[in-house]
Amino acid sequence: MSRIRLSFLLPLGVFLGLAALGAVALYGTLSGSRTPDQLPSVLIGKPAPPLDLPRLVTATPAPASAAQVTIAPFRGKPLLVNIFASWCAPCRAEAPALEMLSKRIAILGIAYKDREEDTQQFLGQYGDPFRAIGIDRDGRAGIAWGVYGVPETFLLDADGIVRLRHAGPLTKDVIDNKLIPALVALGA
Amino acid sequence: MTNHRCPVLRNRLSGLLVAITLIAQSLFSLPSHAITAEEMLADPALESRARGLSKQLRCLVCQNQSIDDSDADLARDLRREVRQQLLTGADDATILDRIRQTYGDYVLLKPPVGGMTLLLWLAPVGFIAVGALVVLAARRQRPVADNSLTADEKTRVETLLKGGKTKSERQNP
Repeated sequence: MSRIRLSFLLPLGVFLGLAALGAVALYGTLSGSRTPDQLPSVLIGKPAPPLDLPRLVTATPAPASAAQVTIAPFRGKPLLVNIFASWCAPCRAEAPALEMLSKRIAILGIAYKDREEDTQQFLGQYGDPFRAIGIDRDGRAGIAWGVYGVPETFLLDADGIVRLRHAGPLTKDVIDNKLIPALVALGA
Repeated sequence: MTNHRCPVLRNRLSGLLVAITLIAQSLFSLPSHAITAEEMLADPALESRARGLSKQLRCLVCQNQSIDDSDADLARDLRREVRQQLLTGADDATILDRIRQTYGDYVLLKPPVGGMTLLLWLAPVGFIAVGALVVLAARRQRPVADNSLTADEKTRVETLLKGGKTKSERQNP
């Protein structure tokens, strides 16, 4: 008799287990600790994808490497790679954050699917925190980096290995709880 | 008289026909695709491979559409990427793998078997196995009911068949 009851309790147990899983996921989503819209990046711990883009002419004096923007000249120190566009509203919102971060770490910009004059106007309006900006006119570099929406930010270590990736604007919460600890870990 | 009415009737009939045609079209037409003519490759064999690959890749902006169905900019860029790689002579598996290298397993609408997704693939089998075990256990434990009548019940049946009153009925008139 007790064995019958046990076998009927099993589905109930499985159901309760699944319900608990759902409840945890729901609570995480509501409280903001779980972000299902943030896709896990497969690039973490791997070398940054190749980058070779024409350089955007800006007011900032460019290093000697001239016409093309690549990762190589930035090796030896941590580097922030920020993919942005003048047509992207959250990029405007994170501009002050990048300005602040640029005092601590070198930032390389990728102007994603943007017209040069629009990017230049954007920089004039919201500031230029970038050491160099590559023009990704057709978005192919974006695809190589696994970008699915701007802005996106990658943190590379001194060896050019991807340590952190954030899709979406760098909010105070993201900077304080994700980016700064990662920077500290890299000694930047 | 009837000749006067005829054109009216015909108009009504043709109106009805148009309505039926329109409804049928909306019901039975194929879903429109996001792909535009200028994206397509000249070689029909390559183009059909491109369409096949596009159906297997998830649009990461909309997340539940394939890039073949999606109108999102990123979907169009990925469609173009697939076609550009096809033109370089890459085979289907290589192209899917390259895109998966940067976007992860999630970009594939059909997740590959192995690693973390093993759980995903085996869970349905597991659930069915658990269900089968429960059903089997329940069946084995079910006591076989003794359907034969007791001596007392037999006498009651016999009395009822003869049309007489049973003991309980006599007691409670």
